[in-house]
Amino acid sequence: MRRFIGFSIAVAAVALIIWAVSFGTLPPADFTFCNGDEIKTIDPAISTGQPEGRIIWALFEGLCRWHPETLEPIPGMAERWDLSADKRTYTFWLRRGALWSDGTPVTAHDFGYSFRRFLHPATAAEYGKELWYIEGAREFTTRDVNLGDPIEMELYDRPEDALPFTPGIVLRGVVRAVDSATADPPIYTVETGDGVGRFQRVAEGAAAEGVTACRMITYDFEHVGVRVIDDHTLEIRLNHPVPYFLQLMGFYPFSPVNRRCVETHGYPGWTRPENVVGNGAFRLKFRRVRDRIRLEKSPTYWNRDEVTLETVDALAVKSATTMLNLYMTGQVDWITAVPNEVVSDLMARDDFQPTPFLALYYYLINVEQPPLDDRRVRRALAMTIDRREIVERVTLAGQTPAYSLVPDHISRYVDYTPPVFGSFDPEEARRLLAEAGYPGGRGLPRIELLYNTSESHKAIAEVIQAQWKRHLGVDIGLRNQEWGAYLTSRRQRRYMIARAGWIGDYVDPNTFLDLFVSDNPQNQSGWSNAEYDGLIQAAQRELDEQRRMELFREAEEIVLSEMPLIPIYVYVSQSMVRPYVTGFYPNIQDMHPLWAIGIDRQRMSGRAEDARMPGLAPPPRPLSRTDEARR
Amino acid sequence: MIAFLLRRVLWLAITLWVVFTVSFFLMRAVPGGPFSQERELEPQIAELIQERYRLDDPLWMQYGRELSGALRGDLGYSYRKPDFSNAEIIAQGLPVSASLGIVALAFALVLGLPAGIVSAVRRGSLIDAGLMLAATIGIALPNFVIAGLLIILLVFLIPLFPAGGWGSLSQLILPAFCLGAPYAAYIARLTRTGMLDVLSQDYIRTAYAKGLPGRLVIARHALRLALVPVTSFLGPAVAGILTGSLVIEQIFAIPGLGAHFVEAALMSDYTLAMAVVLLYTVLLYTMNVVVDISYSLIDPRVELD
Repeated sequence: MRRFIGFSIAVAAVALIIWAVSFGTLPPADFTFCNGDEIKTIDPAISTGQPEGRIIWALFEGLCRWHPETLEPIPGMAERWDLSADKRTYTFWLRRGALWSDGTPVTAHDFGYSFRRFLHPATAAEYGKELWYIEGAREFTTRDVNLGDPIEMELYDRPEDALPFTPGIVLRGVVRAVDSATADPPIYTVETGDGVGRFQRVAEGAAAEGVTACRMITYDFEHVGVRVIDDHTLEIRLNHPVPYFLQLMGFYPFSPVNRRCVETHGYPGWTRPENVVGNGAFRLKFRRVRDRIRLEKSPTYWNRDEVTLETVDALAVKSATTMLNLYMTGQVDWITAVPNEVVSDLMARDDFQPTPFLALYYYLINVEQPPLDDRRVRRALAMTIDRREIVERVTLAGQTPAYSLVPDHISRYVDYTPPVFGSFDPEEARRLLAEAGYPGGRGLPRIELLYNTSESHKAIAEVIQAQWKRHLGVDIGLRNQEWGAYLTSRRQRRYMIARAGWIGDYVDPNTFLDLFVSDNPQNQSGWSNAEYDGLIQAAQRELDEQRRMELFREAEEIVLSEMPLIPIYVYVSQSMVRPYVTGFYPNIQDMHPLWAIGIDRQRMSGRAEDARMPGLAPPPRPLSRTDEARR
Repeated sequence: MIAFLLRRVLWLAITLWVVFTVSFFLMRAVPGGPFSQERELEPQIAELIQERYRLDDPLWMQYGRELSGALRGDLGYSYRKPDFSNAEIIAQGLPVSASLGIVALAFALVLGLPAGIVSAVRRGSLIDAGLMLAATIGIALPNFVIAGLLIILLVFLIPLFPAGGWGSLSQLILPAFCLGAPYAAYIARLTRTGMLDVLSQDYIRTAYAKGLPGRLVIARHALRLALVPVTSFLGPAVAGILTGSLVIEQIFAIPGLGAHFVEAALMSDYTLAMAVVLLYTVLLYTMNVVVDISYSLIDPRVELD
């Protein structure tokens, strides 16, 4: 018996080891890149983040695309478009011959459906607000329905022969009465085509006598400014002119999805490789969590002749050190980040070109906390940060000092040059501090600087701590918190100065200036300025482009003189890409669509040497410390 | 034996429930939530997201819902990777971690056991000192240091292995070795201690006195009992090694389970964190039962109670 048990254990052990070391084979992809952390989703509507964007841009295509070099909106699913004289109505004419990967044509109805789905309250799209420029969109998403408004009620009954995930039957009408005093959620009395009825958004069967239970009640989408005119014409009406609206139409969350696919499989079933239907240059071959996403060229894509890559692998690699190791040993062609520690060694290589990125590293100030409620103290602090020391000694990758809220590199893309708050000027700072009643820093209540736990934030905070000590004689305390706690402290304004960062969503000053409008949830400084709010609002409604930029400039001058924030530096994107990769252009959004990328086979023949023996520079130290999640 | 197993299964159920409850409330006591991010959402959208994921219900209701799901074997969908159910995430990660873990364990045993036996038998010799020094270094050096050194040596200086990734045998060797090295060191030390202990026993002296050759005494009589401490170490070690290691997985870009343990907790991905915690509980518990059973196999004097 014992012998038998011993024997079976031995057999089992051998079998396990054989299982453990046996692997299937996977042919290598034409192009492999490290995509950063595992992506959250490939459903455009609920996606956020650059790694998600790279994949969604490959699988789907919106009305516009972004030019890979200039970032200008270029035709995507829409072949051409037109803007009305009041700059509020866009008409898009869709490309004929554009197909979904299941072979059916892409029509304006698909966009109507996708915008509805994106804005629908049940989708809860994180980027929802970016489409609230469309008339009625905010009301539709937030279920903001008042007396006399058009309303739609989705019933629990579903049409016969409906696909498994088709929404219920939708009734439409006009609100005649709202009873929110005795009922929560409110009961709406609605006049529909068939007479007057009472409706409430409650669970099926939970409604009171004479009230119809609804799955959803919201503002009528028929009155939202998205109108399908015919199969190939789509009209979008905005609340006010939005100069970057075309660019938004190329942003990945606004990519269309295939109605039949979504309603057949539901979420998340429709995102599975065997189910997903897209209209982009690539199809999803398979997807393994935290390993790789394999894409293959789509045979139905309208511009397939210009897509040169047949297969692409997006590796989920979180650590920048590992990315660099993979790159240096020739396993990948493009990495999106490099470890800070080796940046200075890499600068000599010509396949490493850090590029200004539309993102600002700054310190947010709680302007309600003494002594920071005094503008002079805030200015004194801002003027005694030697940003050159930070970018040259700490961050190292060619980041540029920031003296404004809008990164100044934006002027290469739009006609806007941000004002500056001042310069590094310890003398003036000391004078301001003395004027505020704290000569030489005496009597100044203790200031505390909060950052989320990370080596790089710590290094920067320590340098700034030393600079303030040196130039102002002010001793500040440093406090770090884990991510969740740090965000909560910021939200509840339990901080004095907090590290912050912001990545612009689109190339327009508004994406930064909007941060300090009073009712923006991102404005956690407690700073509120009616004139500023007014200028931003006026700029948003301004038709004349030049005047609009002037308004933005005036607004930025206000926020910079009031200083609810201290700008520190402008980020750089830190891609490394092999010289034989074509169609890869450095740009301010760090956006490199896969449809534009190709491989120069002739230059590639030198791949082996280039990869194994990096002759361009000594191989960097392969570091193995786990990198901080957020830099 | 049957009664023993039944009792253990009952205790497992109770343990799982306690672990579930404690983890559930601990995770929700931590500030932030699965949707916290630096980009603040419009309050109305934040509400809709809470509604979509039903995080707006009272805590006891969420507890009841998740507990009943877990009882039915449904671990729900991840909040941070909602395209996948937690069962799928585990189904994809566990084989990778297990495969890496098995090879690491094989390394650990193949290196650790002989080293321990040899140094016990040659106690006080130069070999003993050398092996135990190596073992001490193996325990003292964190595995990311070992990994870093090996990458410099075997990936860059002598390009024998790929730097990372998953999908071939060559990509398995380095991480498995780094993962197994500290275990090998522990096993070597435990084996040595156990062996020394046994070698001084009377029955071993008797075996020698009978005139048995030394090799036979050690292999047949001494080794079995010397393995008892190693076995009790191996139980929890196997549970740990099979569920992966964050550090090794990150350095070598391996899609195992280990990273989920840390990241799901840090990111407040409640359901995924719960799923991996429950999985680990089951594994650890099972391994401890296996260890208890194996005692009775190794040492005839032990009886299961």
